[in-house]
Amino acid sequence: MRSGLERTLRDLESLADDPSHPLEPVGVESRYDPPRSSIHPDRALSWLRRLWPVVAGHRGIFAVALLASLASLLCGVAVPRVMMAAIDDALTTRTAPLEGFVIAIALLGLIRGGAGFVSRFWLFRVAYAIENDLRVTLYDHLSRMSFSFYDRVQSGQLISRANSDIRTVQMFLTFGPLICLTILSFLAAIGLMLSISVPLTIVAILPLPFVGVLGARLGRLTFPISWIVQSRMADIATTVEENLSGVRVVKAFSAERAQIHAISKAARRLQWINVRQAEVQAAHAPVIESMPRVGMALVLLVGGWLTIEGRLTIGAIVAFTTYVVMLQAPFRMFGFFLMMVQRAAASALRIYEVLDEEPEVRDRGDAHDLTDPRGAVHFQNVTFGYGDAAPVLSGFDLDVPAGETVAVVGRTGCGKSTVARLLARFYDVDGGAVRIDGEDVRDLTLASVRAHVGIVPDEPFLFTTSIRNNIAYAQPDASDEDVIAAARAAGASDFIDRLPEAYDTVVGERGYDLSGGQRQRISIARSLLANPRVLILDDATSAVDVHVEQSIHDALEALLEGRTTIVIAHRLSTIALADRVVLLDSGRVAADGTHGELMRSEPRYAEVLAHLEDDTGARDAPAPEVAP
Amino acid sequence: MSFGGGAFAGGPVFGGLGGQGGQNLPFAGVPTELQERVDEILATEPDVADEAVDFSQAEYDRRPFTLGRFLAPHWVALLGALGLVVLETITLQAGPLLTKIAIDSGIRARSTQVLFAVAASYVVLIGLSMLISRARIVVTARVGADLMVRLRVRIFAHLQRLSLGFFTEEKSGVLFSRQTSDPVSLAALFQEGLVQLAVQALTLMIVTGLLVALNAWLATIVLLAVVPAMLLMTLWFRSASGPRYLDVRDRIADVLSHLQESLAGVRIVTAFNRRRHNVIEHRNVVGAYREANDATAQVNAVYGPGSEMIGILGQALLFLIGGRMVLRGELTVGDLAAFALYLTAFFAPIQQLVQLYTVYQQGTAAVVKLRELLAEGPTVGERTAAHPLPSIEGEIALENVTFSYQPGTPVLRDVDLRVRPGETFALVGATGSGTSTIAKLVARFYDPDSGVVRIDGQDLREVTFESLRTQLGIVPQEPFLFAGSLRDNVAFARPAATDDEVLAACDAVGIRELVDRLPYGIHTPVHERGVTLSAGERQLLALARAFVAEPRVLVLDEATSNLDLRTEALIEHALDVVLEGRTALIIAHRLATARRADRIATVHDGQIVEIGTHEDLVAQGGRYAEMFATWARHY
Repeated sequence: MRSGLERTLRDLESLADDPSHPLEPVGVESRYDPPRSSIHPDRALSWLRRLWPVVAGHRGIFAVALLASLASLLCGVAVPRVMMAAIDDALTTRTAPLEGFVIAIALLGLIRGGAGFVSRFWLFRVAYAIENDLRVTLYDHLSRMSFSFYDRVQSGQLISRANSDIRTVQMFLTFGPLICLTILSFLAAIGLMLSISVPLTIVAILPLPFVGVLGARLGRLTFPISWIVQSRMADIATTVEENLSGVRVVKAFSAERAQIHAISKAARRLQWINVRQAEVQAAHAPVIESMPRVGMALVLLVGGWLTIEGRLTIGAIVAFTTYVVMLQAPFRMFGFFLMMVQRAAASALRIYEVLDEEPEVRDRGDAHDLTDPRGAVHFQNVTFGYGDAAPVLSGFDLDVPAGETVAVVGRTGCGKSTVARLLARFYDVDGGAVRIDGEDVRDLTLASVRAHVGIVPDEPFLFTTSIRNNIAYAQPDASDEDVIAAARAAGASDFIDRLPEAYDTVVGERGYDLSGGQRQRISIARSLLANPRVLILDDATSAVDVHVEQSIHDALEALLEGRTTIVIAHRLSTIALADRVVLLDSGRVAADGTHGELMRSEPRYAEVLAHLEDDTGARDAPAPEVAP
Repeated sequence: MSFGGGAFAGGPVFGGLGGQGGQNLPFAGVPTELQERVDEILATEPDVADEAVDFSQAEYDRRPFTLGRFLAPHWVALLGALGLVVLETITLQAGPLLTKIAIDSGIRARSTQVLFAVAASYVVLIGLSMLISRARIVVTARVGADLMVRLRVRIFAHLQRLSLGFFTEEKSGVLFSRQTSDPVSLAALFQEGLVQLAVQALTLMIVTGLLVALNAWLATIVLLAVVPAMLLMTLWFRSASGPRYLDVRDRIADVLSHLQESLAGVRIVTAFNRRRHNVIEHRNVVGAYREANDATAQVNAVYGPGSEMIGILGQALLFLIGGRMVLRGELTVGDLAAFALYLTAFFAPIQQLVQLYTVYQQGTAAVVKLRELLAEGPTVGERTAAHPLPSIEGEIALENVTFSYQPGTPVLRDVDLRVRPGETFALVGATGSGTSTIAKLVARFYDPDSGVVRIDGQDLREVTFESLRTQLGIVPQEPFLFAGSLRDNVAFARPAATDDEVLAACDAVGIRELVDRLPYGIHTPVHERGVTLSAGERQLLALARAFVAEPRVLVLDEATSNLDLRTEALIEHALDVVLEGRTALIIAHRLATARRADRIATVHDGQIVEIGTHEDLVAQGGRYAEMFATWARHY
């Protein structure tokens, strides 16, 4: 798998820190090192094998932990053998002093304790370290994914993978090695038992194959069930997440009852599968756990008879019973272990499924930075559709010379916003090309395109952080002066100054405590601060009232000077910002010219703007002053 | 959000998992090789009966949430489980006693009959314990699963009661983990924790009793040497681990809210090249979480192996003292063997209890956090004496209303307003002037600080939420779509609405064309936040949603802001039809919308400065006239 190896190397490289990257500034101190490696890219490998590079990143302490575990477990295994010697030699035949054995047992106890501490401490820490790596790697990967990915995937599902599934894998990594070693150390126990008495050992371990068979059966039955369990938990997570995000709608429509009904249904579906899982467990686990004790009964019977015959000692029987008691634990664990493996495997596959998803829009190997662009934009015969849906744009041509402001007008759903998304390369075209300064955006690095192309989206999403941090989102290290200047240009500084903590006010969850217009203004300030060469305003002032819009436009007009700007407009007041207007219809440019020209020559344009004539009282007001 | 499931049937259905709108999305299904076995299992699932939801805004359990109250309703099943646990433990602990009998009365007395009898009773006891154990697993799982359903529904229902102000202040990531991780911790506490606690505590008691019966003096000495050591260690562990586990829970909540917010705003993250910054930020919160975990590793690593060490040292002590007693003839070898075996049986539960302590810590931490959440009362709550608002005419009145989000900065001051039944009334004003706040007060998302909001003369604080809001249609500023089909979203307020009614609503708002274009018509799934629809289309859907609700009073909070002029014209035409005979309160920044209203009020700085028809206000030459002139110049 050469290509796989290449990808691992590339991932490793990309996970490394590069704080000096000018296009992707970092305004936060990195307090922890990035993970050393990601999962193995070869999908044909088993889940554990694919996880290995991550584990290998911590192999040093992992090895120490395993060695200490082994030492600790072997000491535990040795104790019954010493006890046997004590009973036989010191108490029965009385050929050796008791004290020597007592000291030996005490020493074994001390070593077991010390080594046990080292082993647990480091095993836990390795598991937490791997959990840490997986979380960071998954987040890193998700942050690279394209819009098309997020169009398809529910974030509830992703959160459940990034949380419950990683935790399940972590659980396995914490206890898995410990259980493996326990099982290994019992091979040592069996060796000791064989050295005491071969027939009694055979009798004692006779029931164990049943344990293995039943355990495997249990695992096979549990695997699909745990899939369903995980997925139903994810459903609950999705319902909860949506309920929190859509709390206003729920309240507005008094849908509390319906929502509770939904969660109750989802919870009962989970309940059913949980009970089902327990039933499968109940049918197998008690038998698995009892089998070793059947061995103990047999040890008493056969061992007792052998002792009466004089072929075995009482000490041996005590040692064997102790061993069989000890063997119970790993066999109980064995069942648990199998379940845990199954769960971890299911979870790991769900994590890999996300990690294996390649970003559709990504840098080509030979991509270069777009440096100091003039900002000429050219859409050349562009065809594009979302997913498998019918194309939104087909044969779309648009040429915007550097420094020009163009308004894109058209009906809802005609593809105006798509034009913006293609220019910022959120999606790649299906046919044709989008060019900046004559260069196909697919030949450029994503970071450089996005650094020079700014977009003010139609929906102003703000983060739950201070207004300052929201405005400085693209430039986290921007000075306060720059932030205030951007806010002023976007007409936001007045209301921000009136807020209790001004720029330090934390925007309420989903911006509830700001109005739509206020959010839009912060969103505009955010884009202005990024200072892009090409700016796209995607209906950016729709919720802003007229007075404020006017003052924003006045400020914008100065700022847009020399910048290439694409304005997606619904209102004449916005169109007024533009040098030129294009009318979008059926996925292509239907008309192109100044507002005045289009009003005269293009009936469809007039139709889109139709109700102006009827409704705005434009007849009473002076004719709109629109740029020539 | 479940919208009644299989409306959209296509592709391999992952059982009833649908309903969540999940089955057609990637990452919601199973790998194909598992599908068959999953299908087999799901084929046996009975249909989930549609349980009536018992929900009241005002009446709910206000007692503090405690483990006792949580478990109380299931006390019969719990007692049953406890009985099974007792029986199971007794059958399990007979082993060493039988060993002693086998050694002393069998081997040393050279009696094969006794040996056979011992082995036979051993096997019988094992058989019994298997049956009991099986029953115990099923019973506890049933009770546990039942408790979980109740808990999930209770937390969820409680959150539905809390006021909008609460959701504004609380991070949704935190509320998310209260509803997902915490119930899981509690389930673990019940299913693994409490039952095992009973098993192990009982084992300790039985074993202590048996040891004392075998030889009181030896039992006293050995236990006195060992138990205080274990006890001290447990106490240390208890005090050291508690705060560390609380810290872990706080840190994981941070991780989750960072993750959740990054996903919610992923498009902004991408657009603004913030990837690198956020990755480092995430690394920092995950790193803090890891450190919190590491801190728990410390105490766990001391406690587990430490108690094992004490156990083995206890064995050494037993051999030292017990061995001497055997040498002096005061104890049989069989007794000593039974002692040695029981001592192992004595320490195993203590170690188990430590494992359980982790579960216990996490479980009780969850109880504490849930208690806090459930103790949270709605700031805008329904009164116990609230009565349903009778079928309304639709007269809205604000009387002398003053309101502030933050104390000291009133958003509305002494507002008086009367909207006549059937009237279309527009509120205009600059952003932040208080127009949206008036809408929120009418919907009773908030209560006024002073003054009264009335509909048909009834103080809103005196009526039930449901009766108020089912007669009120609110189209909020932000159109939120739930995962599910377009139909489910439009019929959100009235899930029983027929497809025809839904189509009619789509017609009314002018999205019939869009619906016809979609591959499965109204049954096409729309994704979270409706990302496959444009902002304008989402606005239209939100309007269609309000239409289906058939409200007496319609509140539009700048609901037409994201539409292009043509679509807006379509809607306004539809509004004319729909508003016929209804009262409508329209918060409009678009004066095109406002001027169609019967009357208009201009809100400035938290006060109503003028009221009148469009013509009146323009003629008055006041604030509205000025705004209208600016606006008209630009349209």
